[in-house]
Amino acid sequence: MSTHVKTTDQPLSAEAALEFCSAPGHGAADLFIGRVRDLNQGREVEGVSYDLHSVLCERVFAEICAEAREEWGEPLHIWLEHRHGRLGVGEASVIAAVSSPHRDESFRACRYLIEQMKHRAPIWKQEHYVDGDSEWVQGHALCQHG
Amino acid sequence: MSQQVEVRLFGAFRQYSRDAAIAVTLPESATVTNLREAFADALEDDNARALLKASAFATDEAVLDEDDSVPEHGRISILPPVCGG
Repeated sequence: MSTHVKTTDQPLSAEAALEFCSAPGHGAADLFIGRVRDLNQGREVEGVSYDLHSVLCERVFAEICAEAREEWGEPLHIWLEHRHGRLGVGEASVIAAVSSPHRDESFRACRYLIEQMKHRAPIWKQEHYVDGDSEWVQGHALCQHG
Repeated sequence: MSQQVEVRLFGAFRQYSRDAAIAVTLPESATVTNLREAFADALEDDNARALLKASAFATDEAVLDEDDSVPEHGRISILPPVCGG
């Protein structure tokens, strides 16, 4: 078992994720790459700036990975990285990867990582549009007060 | 006795201050509810106050509940709704 979580302002590496998510007894590896796309809700996007709370973010990443391991097994190798700073269209903002003895655990755990990350990790994005405007994207509230 | 708390700004809150933080004064043994009220008073923009209603306060370790005490030492952040990926 092995877990890697990180936030960084440097380009993400799918090759590094797959190299980490590898073991002689692992017959499956699942890789998810989230990339900046050029259109959102009808507006042409030329880039996205990601802001994050790095310390808390890595804690939340570690919690999510521990939950995945609890659900789908100790042998999992788990990788979760998110980039911050300004990214252009096509650049990778997040990479999640999981390897396991059989494919079902890898598929399910990788999907869990990305869905939980989007709802729980303290990360925010500001879209920059081709027309020169910029807007912070609406998200999921972390608070539970009335 | 009162305490000065510096609240670090993230995401959409960054547009409401030139600095990366807003300082507020709280009574000793203040709760997060007290902090929320003081922070709202410190904001000058109605949109910022609306955003505050959907936002959570956190330490570097965890998101705080409204009844939690505000730590006397340690960094506090305001977290607007999140959207990673």
